[in-house]
Amino acid sequence: MKDLFLARAVAFNSFSESVRNRFFTLFAVFAFTAVYASVLAGVMAVDQEARVLTDFGLALIELTALAYSLFGVSSSLLKEAETKTIYLVFSRPVPRRVYLAGKLAGALLTAGLMLAIMGAIHLSLLAFRGFGLPEFYAWALAGTFLKLAVIISFAFFVSLFSTSAVSTLVISSIMWTLGHFAAEARFMAERLPGFKGIVFNVFLWLIPNLQLFNARDAAGAACALGPGVIVPAASWVAASYLAALWLLARKEF
Amino acid sequence: MSGRGLPLLASAVLAWAAGGFASRGYSSPFPPPSEMRVPASGATGDMLALALGARRLFSDLWFIRLMQYYGTSEFCEHEEAAGDPHHHCEHDNFGMGKYPLFLPLARHVLEVDPAFTAAGLYGAASLAFNMERAGEAEELLRYGLKYSPREWKYLTMLAAIGYSKAKNPSAVAESIAPLLRDPDCPVMLKQQAAFLNKKAGNYAAAAAIYADIAATSRDEAYVKNARRELEKLSRRARRP
Repeated sequence: MKDLFLARAVAFNSFSESVRNRFFTLFAVFAFTAVYASVLAGVMAVDQEARVLTDFGLALIELTALAYSLFGVSSSLLKEAETKTIYLVFSRPVPRRVYLAGKLAGALLTAGLMLAIMGAIHLSLLAFRGFGLPEFYAWALAGTFLKLAVIISFAFFVSLFSTSAVSTLVISSIMWTLGHFAAEARFMAERLPGFKGIVFNVFLWLIPNLQLFNARDAAGAACALGPGVIVPAASWVAASYLAALWLLARKEF
Repeated sequence: MSGRGLPLLASAVLAWAAGGFASRGYSSPFPPPSEMRVPASGATGDMLALALGARRLFSDLWFIRLMQYYGTSEFCEHEEAAGDPHHHCEHDNFGMGKYPLFLPLARHVLEVDPAFTAAGLYGAASLAFNMERAGEAEELLRYGLKYSPREWKYLTMLAAIGYSKAKNPSAVAESIAPLLRDPDCPVMLKQQAAFLNKKAGNYAAAAAIYADIAATSRDEAYVKNARRELEKLSRRARRP
């Protein structure tokens, strides 16, 4: 129970730090881009304006939240080590597992809030243009949150062994890309003969299949995220957390 | 904590593998990459569509490209021969022309997102009714049906194309009537249905469709045309 309170304190601290840091500027940029795109979409997409506006907005929400989250996570632990803040935390009875769990929860809370605010801006824009709520909208945002959860926890793990925030950003972005290619990569692996195919299949196990959570993209094919997607998401988040904890435990503070 | 290093690492590996195991049943609803016949100018866009998991967005962009391509007047051979390469020839009937890239572009929209039914219908209707290339329209619809086998709109359109081949405009109009009630129905198809009803002498049905276009479409050209046609039909109705 004590651990839970400690983790909550670390999470809220991490969350409020993120919110103070260029948070609202980002929403202004998002709102401006969305309004600009809506004007363009109205002219070009004609009768498919609702679809184009929805797809553009959801993609923009995802990329904005991804960029902000990765930027925050990749510099978070490094910054705390450089400014020696982490020494203050560890000089108190705060176990490392609790500290890391709090940091992760804070980052996820920030991502969740970003999705909620940008989603609200996007929906008001759709309403302003005379369109209703797309039926798969909540699923799309939920899927985006699961993708972000997987990649944020992975970025925490990477930030503990990489030498700079930039390398964490690059490695995590590559993982994001590979995660979306997982289905295509599996298709290619199935066609590779012999040993090559085995090696490629093993390699595929290292990549989280982010297409599982891509309800935004599969809106026409299968609107809802099945309950089965929670297990892989939780497993990948837990794995990254445990690996990050392993690295954090080996560090001398 | 230091004594728990190895178990921690082992649990991380196990948890990661569990994630992979839990997701092994996933089958993509999208066509495999081998089926994507990417136009040379669009390879980068398609890479981004796959890498960012943004197939829907990029299929929208391809659809906009298709509409821009089809909305641009074609060069006429006689004008090119006369040495005026910048002249665009306006066809008497809107939508007619050769547009050789129409089928590859329309098919590519469905290759990126096969669930984009409105694009499939728009492409098939343009090919079959405006350009009189029923074979290509059927090819496009069959590709759409491969990934959306239960899509009744494609099946209805296939039936309508069959009637159009048999030169039976009233049967075509009748068979596409259920499509018109769908909010996602392309306005071009509505226009076609109104035209066919007018041709078959069903003026009331034609007027109802034109009124619907005038009230709901966001395309100025179609709205203006619908208003013009409504006026003509009301003049005809007032005649003794």
